[in-house]
Amino acid sequence: MAVSAERRPVVLAEPQRTPREMTGIIIRYALITLLAILVFMPFILSFLGTFKTNPEVTAYPPTFLPTEWHFENWVNTWSVQISGAGNNVFARWFFNSFWLALLNMVTELFFCSLAAYAFARMRFPGKDLIFAFIIASMAIPGAVTLIPGYVFYARLGWVNTYLPLIVPKLVVPFGLFMLSQFFKSIPKELEEAAYMDGASRFRTYWNVAIPLSRPALITLAIIQFQGSWNDFMGPLLYLRDPKLLTLTVGLNFFKTQYAVEWNKILVGSMFNAIPILILFFLFNKYYMEGASYSGLAGQ
Amino acid sequence: MAASTTSAPRSGSARSRTLARNEAINAYLFIAPYLIIAGIFTLGLLTYAFYISFTDLKSSLSRTSNFVGLTNYINAFRNAEFQISLINVFWYFVIVTTLQTIGAILVAMLLNSKLKGLRFYRTMFYAPSVASSAVISMIFLWLYLRTGWINYLFHTNIAWLQDARGLFQILLAPLGIEVTGTFAKGPSITWMALMFMNIFTTIPSLMVIFLAALQDIPAYVYEAAEIDGSTGAHAFFNITLPLLRPVITLVIVLGTIGTFQVFDQAFIMTQGGPLKTTYTPVLLIYNKTLGQATSADASLAAAMAFILAAIIFIFTIIQRRYIESSSERF
Repeated sequence: MAVSAERRPVVLAEPQRTPREMTGIIIRYALITLLAILVFMPFILSFLGTFKTNPEVTAYPPTFLPTEWHFENWVNTWSVQISGAGNNVFARWFFNSFWLALLNMVTELFFCSLAAYAFARMRFPGKDLIFAFIIASMAIPGAVTLIPGYVFYARLGWVNTYLPLIVPKLVVPFGLFMLSQFFKSIPKELEEAAYMDGASRFRTYWNVAIPLSRPALITLAIIQFQGSWNDFMGPLLYLRDPKLLTLTVGLNFFKTQYAVEWNKILVGSMFNAIPILILFFLFNKYYMEGASYSGLAGQ
Repeated sequence: MAASTTSAPRSGSARSRTLARNEAINAYLFIAPYLIIAGIFTLGLLTYAFYISFTDLKSSLSRTSNFVGLTNYINAFRNAEFQISLINVFWYFVIVTTLQTIGAILVAMLLNSKLKGLRFYRTMFYAPSVASSAVISMIFLWLYLRTGWINYLFHTNIAWLQDARGLFQILLAPLGIEVTGTFAKGPSITWMALMFMNIFTTIPSLMVIFLAALQDIPAYVYEAAEIDGSTGAHAFFNITLPLLRPVITLVIVLGTIGTFQVFDQAFIMTQGGPLKTTYTPVLLIYNKTLGQATSADASLAAAMAFILAAIIFIFTIIQRRYIESSSERF
């Protein structure tokens, strides 16, 4: 099963530490703290940058704290107006990203869990072969299909619509793989009891297996939401109308048009980064599960 | 049940056959949505893209195309931009995969100790890797400004994202050796700036994978080694590393797949410049597919995409073979 990143080293008894060991521990703490600050520095610096005036944000030498706090930068960026894209473009892009990520997440959870349940619990001819095909499809490099796929969607007339970002993403091989592994790990007895009581296969799946799989479903939901929210290449390929853009490509669109307004670009970056960071801190236990699952998938 | 003992075996097997058939029908209904979507949008799309790579389709909007055999594949290898992009991505792959794997192991070793509050640190380290490539690119565009934090911290005055000088070119210049040729010059300053940014964000997330593996190594392994006199560096190279081998393989394979497809950062930050030193195969494929008028060559782009896929495939196979077979020595 999933390798838990939460596992702590077992410490049975706290032995008396020698001064030498204590120095070692202090040095380790100092190193780790330093690394953590370093890792977070780009975010801290750009967060502080969002409150600066535009001359200050690009001034040399750079200032750490803003000399004056311009909180209105956030409001002004949220309601930026771009000709051709209308008012409140950042608000619009934020909303587009949000509903798209939510939709991708829900559909994938449903269709992947449905198929995963069949692979984990039911017997049917061709099962192993089909499963092997699905696992093999995980190895296809994404960029390889994505770009020639543009021609395919252009033929279907799907360019400049959300369809290429919704329909193919109804299912994801990783989701199926992960959930089928999880379904196999939960005891069969409960489902069998429900099945014997005359519940249909679908009811057993929906009322018994799904509620038991909450941790795996939450992990997958987060992975999928984040993947969709952070996706750059998909929306870049298929969305043309500035009104339709998601936050990631919108940000880039804004940058190419207003390259000098660094304080606004940084605020826009925060609109994209902060929701996902909040999600991460709320659900970080599930993130660690997900990381170890992606480990399993590669093996 | 007990009353019908005589006819039980016969009708029982018929019954179980019906049950099995019902089960199979149910199962196919469960997997049908998945198979239909994946059949059209993975298998169908891939087949279509493969077909395009053998035609002379130029613009993605044009209606007519002719079968031209292997022409696109031959032209792809002859294409100067494709050659440059493959050299660039090769450097990116070598440097980024190596440094991010070593870096992640080192940080994981540091965190894998009996210190209190480790969960907090683990969370902090992982956090940056959840941010999107677009945001990371924007932030680093700003940090890399001539007047930005990177120049300030290192007391340099380098135009990080406009400097096309290659690594070997710079290193050999003091010796009076002038290097020419895309490959010999080595990765440009700008390309290395993008590599650094990438490593900075991937190390924390890869570290989590290593950490999970390190914590699965039982303490008695080290205790036994200590009795045999193996500690410190010796224990690291002879016990930890061999035991981490499957995870190292995984991280290198994932790294290879990722680095060969680098796109977002190059698209947002440099558009392949300066002097094409950050031009990547995927960026080229993108430009050829969506390019305007004469520069568009969708069929050539499709051929390049399949060549790139083949390269990734070959590299990952070699890595699995090499790293896994060399583990037999232990």
